[in-house]
Amino acid sequence: MSRVLSIAREESRLWLRSRLALVTLVIFAVLLAAVSIATSLRMSEEYHHRSEQQALAEETFLSQPDRHPHRMVHYGHYVFRTPPPLAMIDPGVDAVTGQSIFLEGHKQNSAVFADARAGAELGGFQGLTAALVYQLFVPLLLIAIGHGVFIREREENTLAPLLAQGVTGNELYAGKWIALAGVTLALLLPLAIVSAAAVVRGEALLASFGVISLYALYLFVWCGLILLVSALVRSRALSLGILALFWLASALIVPRIAVESASSAMPAPGKIETDLRMQADLREVGDGHFPGAPQFQQLRANLLIQYDVERVEDLPVNFRGVVSEVAEADLTEVMNRYAEERMALEARQARFAENFGWLSPVAAVSAGSRALSGTDLAAHHRFLREAEEVRIDYVQGLNRVHVEQLDYTDDINRSLNEEANRRTRMSAENWNVLNEFSFQPAAAGERLTQAGAPLGMLSAWLLLLTAGGIRAARRMQP
Amino acid sequence: MSGLIREIRFLASDRAALLWLGIALLVACVSVILGLREIAAQRAVLNDLIEIDYAEREVLDTLYQDWGDVAYYTFHLTWDSPSDFAFAALGQRDTSPWKHQIRALALEGQIYETDAENPDFALIGRFDFAFAANLLAPLLLILLLHDLRSAERTAGRYELLSATAASQGSPWFARAALRTGALALCLIAPLWAGGLPGGAGASTLIPASLVVILHIAFWWGVCVLVDRYGWTSPVNLTALVGAWLALAVIVPAAIKVSIEAAVPLPDGGEILLTQREAVNDAWDLPKAATMEPFIERHPAWADYTEVSQPFEWKWYYAFQQVGDQTVEPLSQAYRDGRIRRDRLAGSLAWLSPPALAERAMQALADTNVAATLTYEQRVRAFHKALREYYYPRLFRGEPVSTVSIEQRPQFQGKES
Repeated sequence: MSRVLSIAREESRLWLRSRLALVTLVIFAVLLAAVSIATSLRMSEEYHHRSEQQALAEETFLSQPDRHPHRMVHYGHYVFRTPPPLAMIDPGVDAVTGQSIFLEGHKQNSAVFADARAGAELGGFQGLTAALVYQLFVPLLLIAIGHGVFIREREENTLAPLLAQGVTGNELYAGKWIALAGVTLALLLPLAIVSAAAVVRGEALLASFGVISLYALYLFVWCGLILLVSALVRSRALSLGILALFWLASALIVPRIAVESASSAMPAPGKIETDLRMQADLREVGDGHFPGAPQFQQLRANLLIQYDVERVEDLPVNFRGVVSEVAEADLTEVMNRYAEERMALEARQARFAENFGWLSPVAAVSAGSRALSGTDLAAHHRFLREAEEVRIDYVQGLNRVHVEQLDYTDDINRSLNEEANRRTRMSAENWNVLNEFSFQPAAAGERLTQAGAPLGMLSAWLLLLTAGGIRAARRMQP
Repeated sequence: MSGLIREIRFLASDRAALLWLGIALLVACVSVILGLREIAAQRAVLNDLIEIDYAEREVLDTLYQDWGDVAYYTFHLTWDSPSDFAFAALGQRDTSPWKHQIRALALEGQIYETDAENPDFALIGRFDFAFAANLLAPLLLILLLHDLRSAERTAGRYELLSATAASQGSPWFARAALRTGALALCLIAPLWAGGLPGGAGASTLIPASLVVILHIAFWWGVCVLVDRYGWTSPVNLTALVGAWLALAVIVPAAIKVSIEAAVPLPDGGEILLTQREAVNDAWDLPKAATMEPFIERHPAWADYTEVSQPFEWKWYYAFQQVGDQTVEPLSQAYRDGRIRRDRLAGSLAWLSPPALAERAMQALADTNVAATLTYEQRVRAFHKALREYYYPRLFRGEPVSTVSIEQRPQFQGKES
């Protein structure tokens, strides 16, 4: 054991004495700290801003004057997706999806105002986040300092004496691993601090711990790869070349190829296309604004029988309100069916792309990181579903008011008679059918399950590379 | 000449160099093919949508007896067809809408809707030629050039080579030039091979090739600069990759953050909320409060402002218009802000050649921010035409005529 530690200590000492290693380390430390702070500040600010807007939207809705309830259905409401605490590390799809949705009757709107659409265009990556630096660039640093750990022993002719002293391949490997893993853990410090801050802001300990473990696992995969290549290859140039090629492929090429493959293997129709195709189904349901439409004749007949009256005017409920309520429910069923289909397809696309994690640890870690942070596609879908729940609840709540409290005769005459129009205005107290909304990420356990596949992929990578590295170290000849 | 042939022979026997060049060629080919496929798919989607949209309007054609209902229920598809060079740089088409459905209601409530694809895709980004040429190619060049001298130095041949080749000028220059040229060729050849049959003319392919060559030449310069110091290959490579990281990733990110901080945009939510308040308040206000600001903009209808019933369609559309008018300053500020951000990004991109090259390609492909804004303006213009079509019919209370769809306003795709 002491031999292992002394090998590790010797390696670290060399790094500290090498200007190159030291300069790179310092630059990366500064970069990591700066980007982590910047990402955290930005997402905290977004959180407060959107929470305020949400409160304002609720207040505005509740403070509307007395009105016809259907007017409030169209007045509508806004919900905002507040970023979860771990978005301070990985904002995920936050910038590329809209942050707010306008909720109104008879329609499901898309989320609007994505940051990416209004940002300055400079090519490259969608903004620099702490997650991106860890996923793409920290491995470069590890390659720069670690590509020659075994090769150096050969170059300096220290390998033969070491082996002659009885140091085994296992010990050699363990020593080098500890040295490289030590650097890795030091680099994870900013991530750990931000994760702790996320816990303070209400994140579950399990999720924060999960994120740290995920990134540690991921960087250890790189350590394993670097040690393996360094043990197998006899020249620094070749070792660097292989590692650079692997980085190029796994960090830059494979993730984008995954996107391209997913999009061509399972093309998803856009929202407009879905909406247009949905129109025929929606027409079958009928437009709730026209209670005289053929679609509602049966409903009308049933109601007349149920209450044993001759005319809709004699019904104890407002027929127009009933039509609105029934039409909204049927309409929503159709819209939800199409929306669920679309989301299921998007989720399948995401899983398809995620499987490229078997080819590239970068693809695996990025999917896992978004899932654990609660900023992945699933979280956005969760937001869409919750928004829909708020929508249907308030619309049907208002329709209930329409059914139960509003006189039918006044209702049909409201466009012709000012007096009737005045009587159709319902008390503003009814507007409290609106539920408060505050977007929360899925429970930590659920997110951990979501991240299960990427975690599995990274573990497989680590096992394979470490086993290969140990084997190569055992076989090392001076 | 013999020097060149010698260098070609040398290159042909350098397996590592051939590997990097092969990757460059492969990456460029794949990116061109994927880009062409994406654009073909976008065109197919548009063709389908245009057809469905037309059929949908035909269905609606006979459904309503009132112009108010016709205007309320008729949606119109608008779209931005991809240019023939869009395959090379998908640019904003990834995140910004290139198709939109609008109707004659207040536009500000509609124009920010996005028909976006899977957000995971937009987040990770597409594998287009611009990505291959602007981000990957510099790295491949670095890998090709970082050990030209240092490898010979390590092998102990450096002094010998320098001395024997003195009469020919520097052999290093010829060697580096050959590799740089080969890399540029590996990128440009697939671009032309895919672009010409795809319909992109020489007028875009030549400037695009120039962008590639200049950008690659810049990185050659960086390699030469680093090589001067006489470090070993690993140090060279580390320094060069560091330069790539700085120029291709960190500088653009820093510029982006600074611009977005320096040019704040009005809040999107505020635009929508203001618009909604203006439209909805109208229901509870005297009719004159809507008609007066409306007439200011549309004096032609001054004689038709009499609204005698609690609900009339002309009043309804008038307050939709007034809603847009109310939010106009905010909406304009949002637009101006985006233009300013884009202009600033254009100037500051000179600090980062990869960003500059990316912007140049997006401009050639008509997929830049300016193109998005132009499309938005075309949607606005069409919406205006839609209103102007309905206003006479609404205000004069004309009965719905059986004019064919062709005679009603229709969005015209741009000439491409």
